[in-house]
Amino acid sequence: MASIAGAPSVPSEKILRSPGYWATVWRRFRRDPVAVGAGLMIVAIVMIAILAPYIAPQDPYKGMTLRRLKPPGTEGFPLGTDELGRDMLSRLIYGARISLFMGVTPVFIALFIGSAIGIVAGYAGGWLNTVLMRTIDVFFAFPSVLLAIALSGALGAGIMNGLISLTVVFVPPIARVAESVTTGIRNRDFVDAARASGAGALTIIRKHVLGNVLGPIFVYAMSLIAVSMILASGLSFLGLGVKPPEPEWGLMLNTLRTAIYTQPLLCALPGLMIFITSISFNLLTDGMRSAMDMKA
Amino acid sequence: MLTAAEIREWDGGEPARGAPLLEVKGLVKHFPIKKGLFGGARGVVRAVDDITFDVVPGETLGIVGESGCGKSTTARLIMDLIRPDRGTIRLGGRAAGTPELSLKAFRAAVQMVFQDSYASLNPRLTVVESIAFGPTVHAISRREAVQRARGLLTRVGLEPARFAGRYPHELSGGQRQRVNIARALALQPKLLILDEAVSALDKSVEAQVLNLLLDLKDEFGLTYIFISHDLEVVRFMASRVLVMYLGRIAEIGPTEALYTASRHPYTTALLGSMLSMDPDRRTREAPLAGDPPNPINPPPGCRFHTRCRYAENLCSEKEPMLEATGSGHRAACHAVDPLSGHSRARRTRREGA
Amino acid sequence: MLAYIAKRIVYTLPIMLGVAVVCFMLVHLAPGDPLVSVLPPDASESLKQQLLVLYGFDRPYIEQFAKWLWRALQGDLGTSIRTNRPVVAEVAKAVSNTLMLAALATLIGFLLGALFGFVAGYFRDSWIDKAASALSVVGVSVPHYWLGMVLVIIFAATLGWLPPTGAGPGGSEAWKWDWAHVRHMILPAITMSVIPMGIIARTVRALVGEILSQEFVAGLRAKGMTELDVLRHVVKNAAPTALAVMGIQLGYLLGGSILIETVFAWPGTGLLLNDAIFQRDLPLLQGTILVLAMFFVLLNMTVDVMQTALDPRVERS
Repeated sequence: MASIAGAPSVPSEKILRSPGYWATVWRRFRRDPVAVGAGLMIVAIVMIAILAPYIAPQDPYKGMTLRRLKPPGTEGFPLGTDELGRDMLSRLIYGARISLFMGVTPVFIALFIGSAIGIVAGYAGGWLNTVLMRTIDVFFAFPSVLLAIALSGALGAGIMNGLISLTVVFVPPIARVAESVTTGIRNRDFVDAARASGAGALTIIRKHVLGNVLGPIFVYAMSLIAVSMILASGLSFLGLGVKPPEPEWGLMLNTLRTAIYTQPLLCALPGLMIFITSISFNLLTDGMRSAMDMKA
Repeated sequence: MLTAAEIREWDGGEPARGAPLLEVKGLVKHFPIKKGLFGGARGVVRAVDDITFDVVPGETLGIVGESGCGKSTTARLIMDLIRPDRGTIRLGGRAAGTPELSLKAFRAAVQMVFQDSYASLNPRLTVVESIAFGPTVHAISRREAVQRARGLLTRVGLEPARFAGRYPHELSGGQRQRVNIARALALQPKLLILDEAVSALDKSVEAQVLNLLLDLKDEFGLTYIFISHDLEVVRFMASRVLVMYLGRIAEIGPTEALYTASRHPYTTALLGSMLSMDPDRRTREAPLAGDPPNPINPPPGCRFHTRCRYAENLCSEKEPMLEATGSGHRAACHAVDPLSGHSRARRTRREGA
Repeated sequence: MLAYIAKRIVYTLPIMLGVAVVCFMLVHLAPGDPLVSVLPPDASESLKQQLLVLYGFDRPYIEQFAKWLWRALQGDLGTSIRTNRPVVAEVAKAVSNTLMLAALATLIGFLLGALFGFVAGYFRDSWIDKAASALSVVGVSVPHYWLGMVLVIIFAATLGWLPPTGAGPGGSEAWKWDWAHVRHMILPAITMSVIPMGIIARTVRALVGEILSQEFVAGLRAKGMTELDVLRHVVKNAAPTALAVMGIQLGYLLGGSILIETVFAWPGTGLLLNDAIFQRDLPLLQGTILVLAMFFVLLNMTVDVMQTALDPRVERS
């Protein structure tokens, strides 16, 4: 009767490794021109945000009322000036920083919190699942815009408060997706097989669940970034988010409204930036989803 | 307490020869149906209703029955993937999940191969990683686990150089099932439960995997529980067969005795539904009438009586117990129990059971 | 069937309670004195105390909540600090205005979205699909308040075809369904419809694609059915989900109308909310949020029940 442990071994160099999951996803993604284009656009915007102090021609906070509301193409001010005489181009460039920050940060934080709640609820099942998900459902009962505004309204304006409200808005949907994906994985036989080998819950979550679950959750979270940016700018537009004189695209839309009849083009510019960024994120996540869908 | 190491060393010789490896006593599992207002149970599915049987070291015990009879649930109850409502499971005389035998040690000794070969493997892990996972849980170093995994791959007929780094979706069904078998063996178990392990495979592949299983059994001195709905395959593989119906055991006995001289009417009907390869012996009518009744509301008395051609009043009143009808052969039927009062039973006694 | 509806309603009750709790707590999250908007800055301590007791702000939160909830259930949401009119009246009027706009916007969004989505899903991967999909992505990505501004720039400021703001010559008080009034609805409704259009288009496209790829469609065609009839089958299968999405979008528009209403000065719940926030009119704020959230919850529940009623696959115990 042979012993299993005594079976012959094979040297490791001879083993063929197939490309891993993420490598395959990357390869598929690369072939999608729209997705790649969107990705490059986002990289460009991020670069603009990071390099703002170096590429902005003027100080975004300094303005002279004499120069207010000059149209694009004016000497020295390629995109015109705003209602306080500040250079639009510089403000738009610096605005990328805050707008991106307000768009991405809440989603990231919500990703952590929401995933933790959702994965625990999904794996544990039973009453823990019910309690957690029901609480989440209460917040889900509010339309996101309303919740964001209500929270911001209650907490007051300011970047910090805006971040908090947006994070609260995004935790429920992420938690829901996390729970649903985890429950789906939990019921697969290989999780049972892992339990059958005597592993504890944490080990199973770490080794078997996370790898299968984080991908879809992450992509879903990324699709929320566009929404977050629009919401964040919307909050500033209402006067609830970023406070003047900070350059933020939504806030700029608000303050430039008075110029709608005199310099319509100026008013449209900040919103255009929001639009471009948002659509890039959406196209990017669409591309990621297609790349991750192995069946297509 | 029997540690994992002790189990590994144990060669099944002790306790005394013939003593069972696995003892299942009074296993019960009812699944509540959540239809009430706030999830209150309104009725139960009596999936497994008081099952008792033993598994002898070195044998292959086949478990057969129709869909929904509780075979797979029984397997999962034994593996403690589902918590039983009642009943005990003893391995080598020690109760699992107690200080006598930790659950972890039990799981090192009893492993399972599932039906769906794809769903049983983590799509994100390579084959060798999947196989090596089990041992790492039991304090085997990663290196040694991987070595063992590669060795097992060879043993199940998959060349490690070609297969170890592959992902499940890159393998065929038969290859995946071999991986599952290797994975189950990685913990050096004594008992292997095969839950419809070959049912999803093509016939030719099935034959290969079955032969592999027989070879492995001899080589490593394993004991099998082989669950299937395919009666021919069970006859090929099993030394003893257990027939389940609606959550209870209908009959249990040595394979040939059961197949040639079944005692329970259900077994007879089941065997009668096996189509013959002989064109001259065609089946004229279905041996079993009606749909299998609902496990939520099983018929009173003997659960089979609604479809049984020998049913009498007694059968709907009193539930039959498993009674011996031959050496190692038992059936739960009033018609074969000389003391039951069933009309046929008296005839049986006259024939000298 | 009725039992299912009853069960669903009962399931919603704890959520509604939770919503009420959140609404109540929101307002008390606010830093600062709840009375700050009512009191003149030089008010005496005793005056402050009197008002505190009058408004009930000195009682423990649970008691305040219970009182508030009890009154709300009877239809009394308090009095607006700013206008001194009952909150319910203000909210009711605003809700009807917003509802008009939201309903129109949802209708437009649904029709266009369903059309684009259907066409995209039917002619999958062709240029039609790409064009329609592009439109729906745009719809979902555009900041609608910005779009509103752009439309105002084009159609009001530059071309002067449509009015930029307001709800008509008589304001919202004297609403009539005539062109003078309805023309005020056009721009805001179109702006509002863009996001639902995008979402519905995407959903319908996915639905149609999925249905068409199912085997029963191949079966229908093999039977010799005309393409038109096949399409009718597809629509029948897609309808429940599409309608459900439409219902949910209506709910979102009701709750999220504030941005558009701010741009167009439309006297709806959004504008009311805006005022309430900036003037720290707490009763009005609480009442408005509560009503909007409840609307949303009830709408979701209705959509759920209807979807179950329409879908023959769902088991009814």
